[in-house]
Amino acid sequence: MADSCGAVAATRGDCGSVSSVSSVSSVSMDTICALTELEDLEKVYQQLCEQEKDVETELDRLLGQEGSIHTKMLALQRMGPNLQLIGGDASQLSGMITFTCSLAENVSRKVRQLDLAKTRLYNVIQRADDILDLKFCTDGVQTALHNEDYEQAAAHIHRYLSLDQSVIELSRQGEESSAVDASLVLLQEAEQKLKVIVAEKLDEAVAAVDLAQVERFFKIFPLLGLHQQGLARFGQYLSTQNECDKQAQRIVDKFIQQRGYHNKFQVVQSSMMKSVPAERIEPRELDPVLAEVTLMNARAELYLRFLRRRMMADFEVGDAQSVTQDHQQNMEKLLKHCLLSTRMQELIGYYVPMEEYYMRESVNKAVAMDTYEKGQLTSSMVDDCFYIVKKCISRALSSSSIDCLCAMINHANSVLESDFREVLYNKLRQGFPATTLQDIQRGVSSAVSLMQSSLQQGKFNTLGIESTENAKAAFLVTLNNVEVCSDNISTLKRNLENDCSKLFSQGGNTGDQAKIQSCLSDLVNTSTKFKDLLQEGLTELNTTAVKPQVKPWISSFLVVSHNIEEEEFNDYEANDPWVQQLVVNLEQLMAEFKVALSPVIYDTLTSLMTSLVAIEMEKTVLKCSFSRLGGLQFDKELRSLVAYLTSVTTWTIRDKFARLTQMATVLNLERVSEILDYWGPNSGPLTWRLTPAEVRQVLALRVDFRSEDIKRLRL
Amino acid sequence: MYVYYQSGDLPVFVFRMSMEDYDYLFKIVLIGNAGVGKTCLVRRFTQGLFPPGQGATIGVDFMIKTVEIKGEKVKLQIWDTAGQERFRSITQSYYRSANALILTYDITCEDSFRCLPEWLREIEQYANNQVVTILVGNKIDLAEKREVLRQRAEDFAEAQSMLYLETSAKESDNVEKLFLDLACELIREAKQNKLDNNDTAPMPGEGKTINYLSCCSLN
Repeated sequence: MADSCGAVAATRGDCGSVSSVSSVSSVSMDTICALTELEDLEKVYQQLCEQEKDVETELDRLLGQEGSIHTKMLALQRMGPNLQLIGGDASQLSGMITFTCSLAENVSRKVRQLDLAKTRLYNVIQRADDILDLKFCTDGVQTALHNEDYEQAAAHIHRYLSLDQSVIELSRQGEESSAVDASLVLLQEAEQKLKVIVAEKLDEAVAAVDLAQVERFFKIFPLLGLHQQGLARFGQYLSTQNECDKQAQRIVDKFIQQRGYHNKFQVVQSSMMKSVPAERIEPRELDPVLAEVTLMNARAELYLRFLRRRMMADFEVGDAQSVTQDHQQNMEKLLKHCLLSTRMQELIGYYVPMEEYYMRESVNKAVAMDTYEKGQLTSSMVDDCFYIVKKCISRALSSSSIDCLCAMINHANSVLESDFREVLYNKLRQGFPATTLQDIQRGVSSAVSLMQSSLQQGKFNTLGIESTENAKAAFLVTLNNVEVCSDNISTLKRNLENDCSKLFSQGGNTGDQAKIQSCLSDLVNTSTKFKDLLQEGLTELNTTAVKPQVKPWISSFLVVSHNIEEEEFNDYEANDPWVQQLVVNLEQLMAEFKVALSPVIYDTLTSLMTSLVAIEMEKTVLKCSFSRLGGLQFDKELRSLVAYLTSVTTWTIRDKFARLTQMATVLNLERVSEILDYWGPNSGPLTWRLTPAEVRQVLALRVDFRSEDIKRLRL
Repeated sequence: MYVYYQSGDLPVFVFRMSMEDYDYLFKIVLIGNAGVGKTCLVRRFTQGLFPPGQGATIGVDFMIKTVEIKGEKVKLQIWDTAGQERFRSITQSYYRSANALILTYDITCEDSFRCLPEWLREIEQYANNQVVTILVGNKIDLAEKREVLRQRAEDFAEAQSMLYLETSAKESDNVEKLFLDLACELIREAKQNKLDNNDTAPMPGEGKTINYLSCCSLN
């Protein structure tokens, strides 16, 4: 056994050592005998000994395993009976499964049969029902037709039509075929009859524009399996735009006739063309007709918008993908060029000039009836005028026609910018009468002379004074009017923007919005023109009323010597020679304007006056001569003046007086060279408004400064 | 010569109330009989399109195009009006504020030419007296159908001291030239006006200034 084992190991040759053994053993078989040398023999012997040792080791290892193999054999022997038991159980289980399977198949076969039976039973019931229905329908149709209950009749026919035709065929082959046939014939007759009746009735209803009836019969069509025909007829009804056009035509014609629309228009047109029209029309008479036109147009627009919306919705429902621009364009064309639209466009075409006339005439009237109440800043025509303009534009807006609205905004702009502004301009051009103020200045003596001259003429002319007072007030009121106009136009524009945005939030396209925006932006330009006019008026007021007064007051500075010594300086301190009187005069002069002008205008006027004072002062000072103390005096006077002017205006006046203040600084110097402490690099925060030449000029006003010193200055 | 660029082919819908980025803003109004091609001229100029089968204009349409002329940005507000009689009162309301009027007729339609005196009367009545008017004979692509000889139109324009130009909106002939020449002329007048206004203070009531410089027109 050990040998066979070794032979197995040798033949397998699975490791080096074993193969060497086999090679040695094969050597031993054939060559041992052939070995002659002792050395070789010993070598072989040794190899054999080693081989024997290896075999013995292997044997020992195999013998060592014997025990465990034996244990395993015993365990296997013990498992034998159990395995037999399992085998039995398994075959039993298999038998049971086979049995259950066949049982299930049997049951399901029966269920299938039952189901089939049930289906047939249903069919039978259905057919029985159908036949019953058929009979019921036949009877019902007769009754319903008799009672003119077309809905009911149609419902019966619909029921009949939804019956399975093959079932009916089958039924006819059955025993009751004759009865069924009879019913069918009756039904078919009824169907034909109903179709004819419904078609007729629908046509009648369409002709009579009886929407309820149209809808009633339209709904019957699908019941009769005539969907297409019904739709076609209803479509015909709906394309009543023709009808609508006809009606609109009639309404418009009637309207034109009853209101004498064309007639009114012609009168309006002729009175606008000619300066002296033969026949005039009271603007107020136009009120109702204008309101009616805008209302009519608004209704028409509403109707067209409704159609547009419905059509769009239908396009989308019909085929959401193919709502092409073509569709939309066609629709827009249809709507914009339909007779209703053209007639309304015509009406609006007449409306616009009439509304324009209304606006112009009413504004003229407001101007003619202008009144001014004492204590008010503005006169009645401004409020009236803007009330009218607002009313006209609102009316145009209420027409829902964008072009109409834009046209009226344009006209309003024209009325305001040309007509109304012209009125205000002409009032301002009459100027602010300066005489009265001068009269007052001249005091009692002039009044007496005025009285004397009047008496000489045989009448006492108070009218003169009164009318100048009125002219003054008129001028100031006009200034206020102009300012309010400018503001009102801006407000009007803002309000219209709001109104329009409301209008557009309900739909409307961006092009229309841009049109309105552009027309509205013209109002801004007009508002600016009123602002310019205000500025011109103020300049005029300043020139005629302020300047002639202020100039002599300032030039009286020349009379007050500033080439003074200590004694005179102290005297001036006690009895102010000039500035206090100037302040009082200015105060009096402006007091009148403060009451009569709006705060904004008054403030602007004060600013103009301040500039005037500054310029005149500068001119005057340059004509004077100053001692050291005279310079100090001037500085004091200037400070008082600036303090007063600062207190009466909200504008900053420091800037206007910057040059004068610097002149005072120069006039206050101890000596010529001291200017260098303030000039150039030493100027610090002070920015000189005087040029070097001007500084020299001012320095030269000081009697105590030598001209050589001034010339020598390096500025 | 001038260079120009298109700031956008679509109408500008947003009006910024603050500083707008243009040097001049001019209003140009197209007038003339129905069907002479006013809308096509405007579309050609503003959008580069010639839409065939153009329906009659309803009321007025409004387009904007900004061009650059000698380095100055000129915003042209172009008002395309309906030629049909029933819109006349609406379109007339735009004459007064127009800086320029393009009086259009169709060279293949004697009628549209014969109506010109009537249009001139309208201009006389409604437009401001400083308006620049240009006479345009459109549809020169239909040369074989011409009914109004060029010489005749030129004579008429000269007698009325109007500029004259023949165009084809379809072939895009002279369309750019029409609007750009007009813009140049308007700029020239605006500058002249400004000089005049500087010489003598503007009199209120006749202050129909032609240019609305951004700084003074908007506050």
